[in-house]
Amino acid sequence: MLLSHGSLGWKLKSSLYIITGVIAAFLALPIFFIMALSFGSSQWLVFPPPSWTLKWYERFFDNPQWMESAMTSLQVASLTSIIATLLAIPASFALVRGKFRGRDYLYTFFTLPMVVPVVIIAVAVYGTFLNLGLTGTLFAFVTSHVIIALPFAIISIINSLRLFDKSIEDAAVICGAHRIQAILKVTFPVIKPGVISAALFSFLVSWDEVVISVMMASPNLQTLPVKMWSTLRQDLTPVIAVASTLLILLSLFIMIIASFVRKQSNHR
Amino acid sequence: MLMISSRKKWNNVTLLFPIILFLFLFFLMPLASLLLRSLTEPTFGLQNYAQLLATSTYVQVLYNTFLVGTLVTVISLLIGFPLAWCITLMPKGWGRFLISVILLSMWTSLLARTYSWLVLLQSSGIVNKTLMALGIIDQPLEMVHNLTGVIIGMSYIMVPFIVLPLQACMAAIDPMVLQAASICGASAKTVFFRVFLPLCKPGLFSGALMVFVMSLGYYVTPALLGGVSDMMLPEFIVQQIQNFLNWGMASASAVLLIMITLVLFYLYLKVQTDSPVSSNTGA
Repeated sequence: MLLSHGSLGWKLKSSLYIITGVIAAFLALPIFFIMALSFGSSQWLVFPPPSWTLKWYERFFDNPQWMESAMTSLQVASLTSIIATLLAIPASFALVRGKFRGRDYLYTFFTLPMVVPVVIIAVAVYGTFLNLGLTGTLFAFVTSHVIIALPFAIISIINSLRLFDKSIEDAAVICGAHRIQAILKVTFPVIKPGVISAALFSFLVSWDEVVISVMMASPNLQTLPVKMWSTLRQDLTPVIAVASTLLILLSLFIMIIASFVRKQSNHR
Repeated sequence: MLMISSRKKWNNVTLLFPIILFLFLFFLMPLASLLLRSLTEPTFGLQNYAQLLATSTYVQVLYNTFLVGTLVTVISLLIGFPLAWCITLMPKGWGRFLISVILLSMWTSLLARTYSWLVLLQSSGIVNKTLMALGIIDQPLEMVHNLTGVIIGMSYIMVPFIVLPLQACMAAIDPMVLQAASICGASAKTVFFRVFLPLCKPGLFSGALMVFVMSLGYYVTPALLGGVSDMMLPEFIVQQIQNFLNWGMASASAVLLIMITLVLFYLYLKVQTDSPVSSNTGA
């Protein structure tokens, strides 16, 4: 009775709905709040804003530092997404199809970067790259982002590969296709949604990453979150609200694509 | 078929080689060198660990870390439980809508959300203004740059990590079981505490453990919403490196944090019985 909608008492039901409404607002409002403030005219982020303006957007787009950091972010996130996905695809095949001992341990190992606190990975990789003189390079950004993106890529590809019936691929091989050909033409189209979401989530992980990037950054090379971070430490200027809005919109856009991809694969 | 399976062993090694090499070079080696540095800098021995556990300021950092972790876990459980319950109860469409709100919040830039709370909670912010307008307080509350800010901001971030596993757990409960209990004469309260809650326990436990572990290692939100005086372990590690170049101490505290995390993660794996790769592989 506690789990069927109809049989709950109206008192319990209405209080539950009210609590849920409040919590949903609590979860969603800060996001919309910051988007609204990016259009507010108040330097001190007064809410509701006295009037609406686009001047913070002008400041953002006129400032070469913000623009450059946004471009670096895009570049790092794209490379991270490609490399993480390319590393995750063969590994997922081996883990799902292989019959060898220690698969569970390997899977745990591959997902470990998700468990170890990011700050530790940041410090460890920073220490190593500092000794090699690699900090402040694109290589350092991409490599360190790939580490934390890999678990997300692996999990989403493994999930789609597990649902694929391998005997279909074997049938193609028996009919004369080469194994590689069968994988490309039979298996890949089916697991494509998993691969795409692996790429999308790797992109998102990199696009959003702060802690590692702050460590890897140099005055000449920084990502958007790093620029936001260093600006935030000085003041709360509404230009950060603009940068936040752009980050939110891109995340939203990627999530919509991801759910679209998932829906399409369900219809198949 | 025989040919396919005889080639498999060789295949697995080649397929796994790139990722293992990558993680070995850029993940394991750096971690190992951290461990090494904690034992060798400035001189060989355990003095960094001894200092970490004996100096009162450092112990205070550890205490803060666990205090915040515990409070954040409890608060996000209290917020997450009714939300998960409601999603399970609601008609499908509404439930799906709420889940997408949760996912949106979860995948929205951490920095953006933290910035938002910084603005909301500041002394001239909307939260203080509302409370003052309602006559609940006379003077603005200090809600940022202290542990209050850290706890509010982090609970906000952690709620989704409670709701998603808990909701999955609740959705799997057969409503008939609860009905059976009430038919047998149990009051609503008894059904809730003796039947419903115990059935939710796996979801509650794995969600709480995950949130606790994540809270211990969080850096961004405490660094922005917290103050200088009540630091947590992750901030302490970064400070030791960036301000004092004290790699020995930073590494020792990092190793301590990893150890705690891995022990808790091991517990988490024990709770979650089904393996994602081994079981039900199809072939």
